[in-house]
Amino acid sequence: MLYHLSVFLVNSPGKLEKITKILADNNINLRAMSLASSGDFGVMKLLVNDPDKAFEVLKQSQLTVTKRHIIAVVVDNQPGSFNKLLNQLAKKGINIEDCYGFLLSNAKTAAIILEIENQPDAQKVLSEIGCKILTEDQLYN
Amino acid sequence: MFWQKEIELMDTDALRKFQLEHINKSIKTAKNSQFYKKQLDGIDKIDNLEGIKNLPFTTKEDLRNAFPYGFLATDLKNAVRLHSSSGTTGNPTVVFHTAEDISNWANLSARCMYTAGARNTDVFQNTMGYGLFTGGIGFHYGAEKLGMLTIPVGPGNSKRQVWFMQNFRTSVMHILPSYALRLYRTIEEMNINVKKDLNLKIAFIGAEPHSEEMRKKIEELYGIKAFNSYGLSEICGPGVAFECPCQNGLHVWEDFVYPEIVDPKTLEVLPDGREGELVFTTLQRQAMPLIRYRTRDLTRIISEKCSCGRNHRKIARITGRTDDMMIINGVNIFPIQIEKTIMAIPEAGKNYIIEIFEQNYMDKLCIKLEINNENFGGTLQDLEKLQHKLENELKQEIGVSPLIKFVDAGSLPVEEGKAKRVFDLRKK
Repeated sequence: MLYHLSVFLVNSPGKLEKITKILADNNINLRAMSLASSGDFGVMKLLVNDPDKAFEVLKQSQLTVTKRHIIAVVVDNQPGSFNKLLNQLAKKGINIEDCYGFLLSNAKTAAIILEIENQPDAQKVLSEIGCKILTEDQLYN
Repeated sequence: MFWQKEIELMDTDALRKFQLEHINKSIKTAKNSQFYKKQLDGIDKIDNLEGIKNLPFTTKEDLRNAFPYGFLATDLKNAVRLHSSSGTTGNPTVVFHTAEDISNWANLSARCMYTAGARNTDVFQNTMGYGLFTGGIGFHYGAEKLGMLTIPVGPGNSKRQVWFMQNFRTSVMHILPSYALRLYRTIEEMNINVKKDLNLKIAFIGAEPHSEEMRKKIEELYGIKAFNSYGLSEICGPGVAFECPCQNGLHVWEDFVYPEIVDPKTLEVLPDGREGELVFTTLQRQAMPLIRYRTRDLTRIISEKCSCGRNHRKIARITGRTDDMMIINGVNIFPIQIEKTIMAIPEAGKNYIIEIFEQNYMDKLCIKLEINNENFGGTLQDLEKLQHKLENELKQEIGVSPLIKFVDAGSLPVEEGKAKRVFDLRKK
């Protein structure tokens, strides 16, 4: 089971820095992130190499944090590949709650992180339609 | 000069005699209610005004506990109106009126306005809220009784307010002092010269505490006279006390209520001139007389003779409250209403504070609520949903739209025992 961390944060100077400092101090590597803001407050999604440890240290620092299940799909680093994935998801009626992506180290492929709620079999459906799904090892390291 | 010369100029001895007689009438009427039947068991009258100190007090808590009909002192067939405080958590305070009560109240309100200089040739614009709130309706009836052309425009929509003022040559207005300052801005923005282009002469300001400086500012900006109005829905609403042209304290209409000032701790009656809690006994109310009702308002009685000639004693500006009631843009709110509303939403955190501040001459109510691990689902949508839910439910309960701010867990002050939750940052 893959997951990233969701952190509540108030929109004010130094709040993001506090989070990244905690990660740095604990030697946790940030693989990717996304940030959604509603003006005064926002939610940060963190994909790290050691989510369990990151969860504990953030929590100990009084931050409001929760783990959220994700699916990581590999796509080719070329025009139209993300569209192809979305097209397949749309056809299957799968709704994406949150999504971001980053290039993998070979630069030939990219990982797309998907949060899909209320659809426990989403991963199975994705496999069936031929998506390549990353394992814990491949994603975190 | 006088709306009811005989009553307004009644000498002190005659007033006291009238009061004693009517306190005893009120005791008799009050005992028709469930509450006073018990509360005044064995008491039929007092022999002199001094004797009032032996009567038990009535509190807002009593009103709440007797909800809904415990204070009704007449047959339902005689009751024609009720007014109520906001909200449904705890019990709101409910006040009943007979047709005679409504008529007396209208007369009292007319007397206030006449005293301040309003006449039947005036055009009166009422910018206060109508409905369960007594501010709007109380003045409305009074203005019609006085004979003014009455415009029941109600609160808000500044451009429309100005439109009426321009087209109908409004000369008298009833307005929240904070709104008067905001409205002035709109008038300026519309490039209207308030002193030349409008016909305003008098403003009645009340429903929220304000300073002498604020009154002076309103008078200067508009080039008018502004008169302070005091009232409370438990007694009737506006009209209980009002300023005369001397603008040096508010005459309490002593043919309608008997005022006392008591020490809020010992409940001893204090002599005129000493500050304490204002207590009223109604003298003419039929549907719901109140005996020694604790208003929770802090003030003092000014008994020196007023140069306007009226012998009805005055009260000074209200300096504060002896309970935790907050007044936000003229709306009375208790912290417990906010507490109960938040507690009824399971996904809301339980650590919060209430901040009141001023912005653009408006009171703002801000609820700061901690987001912690127990109530954080991890998505922005959930937080936004919670924010809207809090806004809506609180608006329903208190009648004021609050700002909802989410803050970090552990960032709000934690205190031993009962937490201090209300922070009033308004300039006094």
